[in-house]
Amino acid sequence: MRAVATILVALFASLFLLFILAPVVGLVSSGGARGVASLASDHELRASLWLTVATATVATLLGMLGGTPLAYLLARRAFRGRAVVAALMDLPLVIPHPVAGIALLLVLGRSSPIGGVLYQAGIRVASSSTGIVCAMLFVSAPLYVSAAREAFARVDARYESVARTLGDDAWRAFRRVTLPLSARGLTAAAVVMWARAISEFGAIVILTYNPKVVSVLSYDRFTSYGMSEALPVAAILVLFALVPLAALRALRAGGPHPST
Amino acid sequence: MISLQHVNARAGRFELTDISFDVPQGTYGVVIGPAGSGKTTLLETIAGVIRATAGRILLGGEDLTSAPPERRRLGIVYQHAFLFPHLTVRQNVGYGAAANEDLDDVSTRFGVDALADRSVESLSGGERQLVAIARALARRPEVLLLDEPFSALDPRTRNIVRRVLRTVYYERRFTVLQVTHDFSEAGLLGDVAIVLDRGRVVQQGDPEQVFRKPASPYIADFLGAENVFAGMAQPIRAEAPDWVQGHESQFAQYAVAFTTGALTFYALGDVVPGPTHAVIRAEEVSLSAEPSMSSVQNQFRGRIVEIVPAGALSRVTVDASGTPIVSAVTARSVRELGLAVGVEVVAGFKATAVHLC
Repeated sequence: MRAVATILVALFASLFLLFILAPVVGLVSSGGARGVASLASDHELRASLWLTVATATVATLLGMLGGTPLAYLLARRAFRGRAVVAALMDLPLVIPHPVAGIALLLVLGRSSPIGGVLYQAGIRVASSSTGIVCAMLFVSAPLYVSAAREAFARVDARYESVARTLGDDAWRAFRRVTLPLSARGLTAAAVVMWARAISEFGAIVILTYNPKVVSVLSYDRFTSYGMSEALPVAAILVLFALVPLAALRALRAGGPHPST
Repeated sequence: MISLQHVNARAGRFELTDISFDVPQGTYGVVIGPAGSGKTTLLETIAGVIRATAGRILLGGEDLTSAPPERRRLGIVYQHAFLFPHLTVRQNVGYGAAANEDLDDVSTRFGVDALADRSVESLSGGERQLVAIARALARRPEVLLLDEPFSALDPRTRNIVRRVLRTVYYERRFTVLQVTHDFSEAGLLGDVAIVLDRGRVVQQGDPEQVFRKPASPYIADFLGAENVFAGMAQPIRAEAPDWVQGHESQFAQYAVAFTTGALTFYALGDVVPGPTHAVIRAEEVSLSAEPSMSSVQNQFRGRIVEIVPAGALSRVTVDASGTPIVSAVTARSVRELGLAVGVEVVAGFKATAVHLC
């Protein structure tokens, strides 16, 4: 009976793994080589790839800038409304991304009060790389905040207490103790956010169809030229996604935080 | 000096309430209490890590109730050391050092100079505590807060760490407040004992006094008093026995007969008639083959029901008319008196050894 159960579990696990891997392997084997080759000749693909990396990096840096203090507060301070703030931060994760794009367009589009002011100041959000950054930030920053919060929570607050009694003010204790001890977790959080940002499509396509990031380019080629033209672009995106995945594995291989 | 005046503080759902005590400059205070009594919260409130919601905290005579931890000129050492894992031993010790000389001085004294370049993750438990204490002292604090710093150590290492700390303490004479759940530690180290229970100070004073005269049966039980009896106290004054009238006439007015089960014994205390508790330390109970003619006023014949060796002493329980009386005697006495389960003996203790609470 136990052996049958083991076989069933192994079977279902294998089927599940196949379900996840088959499309990815199929995509890369069909278009991977052509995708890599086209990097040399396809100017639009190269530009799109560069735009994707640049906007995802800027979005991640902005997410770190704003998300780190927020994650620290959520991990360390008990304040009124903390649960509400935490829930609000998770909201972009559960709403459909085209809806997120519509919401952003509503707030940052040229006809909105904020978008209007920005436009007057020479900052165009919709149909620009700024719009791409905004869309990426909106949908992926919650992942950073959530993971960064976990990273801070894993560092016992008493390390900071000791540092404070040894003469550090709050900021210095954070910089000298908490930050180094949570650095691995924060880096992993940033990698997750960056990976999520480069794969974003739904919110970006509403806010900024042009210039095209890789995900939008693959969609555009699929709808305009069909599967054969979309394959190399899509395969490049998949290969590219392996970079942050490998980085995450390397970070996690470093082991958990010591509690000394 | 550490002085707390009606301090309240909150940590999550736990509250410290109306905490008041003084630990004079250069003395060694010990906070004793069971797990969850608020000992660590108390230290962290003094350290400024937890904010006091009421009352005043004075350190070295200065009101530092609202001051941040870095302004309080104190050091804290936790049970689990909390050495910074990304720094070497020397970097840890020197983290807040006032000067390089202080860093070198404490490193040498605590024997951690030999570990200077090692990662703290490679240290043993005892080495970690030594480094943690050295780190706190390198800043030359006026107050040292110790949160059960020896409890995770094996007895040998504990003695080493304790001895080194004691030596530095005697030299520098800073004020120490140590938290422990082990009363023997308090008796060994403390000049002032503060007993904490459920966020309140329930007794404070000289450790010997707290040990001998616990304020309640609960404290007596917590402090490890083996003989805690519930019973009825009856002041006897005029009927005071000869031993009171003859030897210590001023005691006559405090003579009390205390009845528990089938036993009635003499005690001294200013009590009203009625139910109360009597506490007798096992060390105060002597055993003999026959009633002695000495000044031991309370003597009860009984049969030994249990002998439990505990280090240098053995705990011998005598059933005296249904009431168990525990005596702590040396292994040598056990041999010489031929003590064994079933043997009939006389358990005796002085009236002054009985504490009514």
